[in-house]
Amino acid sequence: MEEIEVKGRGLGAFLRTVCFLIIGICAFSNPLDPINLFNIGFGAITGLIFGFLYRRFLCGFLNMFNSKLKKEHGKKVVRDAVDRGMLFIIPFVVMLAAATYLLNWSMTAAFVSAGIMAVGTASSIETGKIKGKQEIKNTIAASGVSGLFSFLWIMSYPFLAKAPLLLEGGITLIKQMMAGGGGVL
Amino acid sequence: MTNEKQPIFRTLIGMMISPGNAVKGAISGIPWFFSVIVAALAFGMFFLQTGLDLYKTGQKGTSYLFISGGMGVVYGLVMIPLIAMLIWMVLKMMKTDKPLKSAVSSLCLSYSGALIYGILGLVFSLALGWKTSVAFGVTGVLWAIGPMILSIREMTGGKNALSIPIATIVSAVVLFSWSFLGNL
Repeated sequence: MEEIEVKGRGLGAFLRTVCFLIIGICAFSNPLDPINLFNIGFGAITGLIFGFLYRRFLCGFLNMFNSKLKKEHGKKVVRDAVDRGMLFIIPFVVMLAAATYLLNWSMTAAFVSAGIMAVGTASSIETGKIKGKQEIKNTIAASGVSGLFSFLWIMSYPFLAKAPLLLEGGITLIKQMMAGGGGVL
Repeated sequence: MTNEKQPIFRTLIGMMISPGNAVKGAISGIPWFFSVIVAALAFGMFFLQTGLDLYKTGQKGTSYLFISGGMGVVYGLVMIPLIAMLIWMVLKMMKTDKPLKSAVSSLCLSYSGALIYGILGLVFSLALGWKTSVAFGVTGVLWAIGPMILSIREMTGGKNALSIPIATIVSAVVLFSWSFLGNL
């Protein structure tokens, strides 16, 4: 078994985490109140969870189709390929941040969707590079997972977008109750 | 490098669904002026959709449709090859052995997806009256980033550390210049 040495794994992990953090913050940003802590906090957590799940699923599916590669180069080989592919999200995140905070756009789902699809393509290409040939099964697996997560993001966003407001309302209510000595009336 | 002829439609679709393989084949098999036409048409349709959206909301008149469409064609015809030249100059300093024609071809062909989105957007805009500049236009330009990174990476001999920052800068320039031109 020949393990492939990967440089800059720590920096890659840091950039990846920051990217998904920014995705969440930008997606749930309120244009009328861009520094609302509830939106920022909820967005950051959602972005990180989304990024974590997406990476796990992408690794899982590509691992499933490349068991021989894993035996030859070690357990981490597909994960490293996915991690390199995930760096492709950086240009999309920079544009998403610019669109949200400089151009004041609120319709930013396309940035996330296109970014995730690009990551899927890049991950399958990176896996193919290790194998020495590009395989359609990797493209289908990576595009399938990316398409599914892109769809989930777009579908769940309208529901999740209400959460920061509800959270803020709930906490304000609790604060008022506590300030009033525990009574509602 | 082979000089095999590539079917045009296969190149456009290939750049959209499997850019890695398409980039390698397309650069050698497609004449450079065809690539520039792809970028010109992609931006022409994207800007035309912006004009149509503004026309539908009553913010601009009919003449703006021609101006915006024309502006897009000129943008794709001049700005994108110019950006490709700048990228090539940067890469030349990093000792790339790829010719300028290949840089122009690959960057312009990255917008194949944007052209397909542009055609679809225009159909939806004209037939159903939808506002499509963001949903189809911006999405198309965003889809171009993936092939663009791969094209630049191809020119740098597989270096992500160079291709990702360059693609980020190019994409930001396109986004801001479109936003600026749309507000004129």
